[in-house]
Amino acid sequence: MGAEVITVSTDTKFVHLAWQRDEKDLANVKFPMGSDGGGKLARMFGVYDEATSLALRGTFIINPEGKLLNAEVNYYNLGRNIDELMRKFKANLYLQKHETKACPSKWKEEGDKTLTPSVKLVGRVHEALE
Amino acid sequence: MTEVCCNVGAIVPNFKMETYEPSKGDFGEISLETQMANKKWTLLFFYPADFTFV
Repeated sequence: MGAEVITVSTDTKFVHLAWQRDEKDLANVKFPMGSDGGGKLARMFGVYDEATSLALRGTFIINPEGKLLNAEVNYYNLGRNIDELMRKFKANLYLQKHETKACPSKWKEEGDKTLTPSVKLVGRVHEALE
Repeated sequence: MTEVCCNVGAIVPNFKMETYEPSKGDFGEISLETQMANKKWTLLFFYPADFTFV
């Protein structure tokens, strides 16, 4: 898909190695594990918690032109839903090819109903999605 | 203190960091510039710490 997932924490690359080798749930991990010692990158994205020196659960999608298209941040105690992340990613790919369209909340994949924002759509979203 | 760089819709300034790459079993480095040069999308996935649930 021409995309790379990069996981990021303030741990060193050595700890990443140890964790990935030790934790059976990570045996199939293929993505690069980034080391953000000191939290510089986490601060750039506004997810660094000064009180704990840790990064919050932030997810950011950047397109190949370097534009930030999605941002989602969860507190420590709430995990992310990978299906929702993939939905947003697929929608971004679709929208890049179809610039006049918009993907509504129920959009899951190509072929699902989209909206075309225009004068005609104002007040008629319900009908457009029927 | 680093300023927050970007709202959604803004261009992200270049960044780079060291990585561990399980697919190669080796250390590496990744930068946004390289990602863009390779025409790749970048999904950054921050989490608090290794050896905790993600």
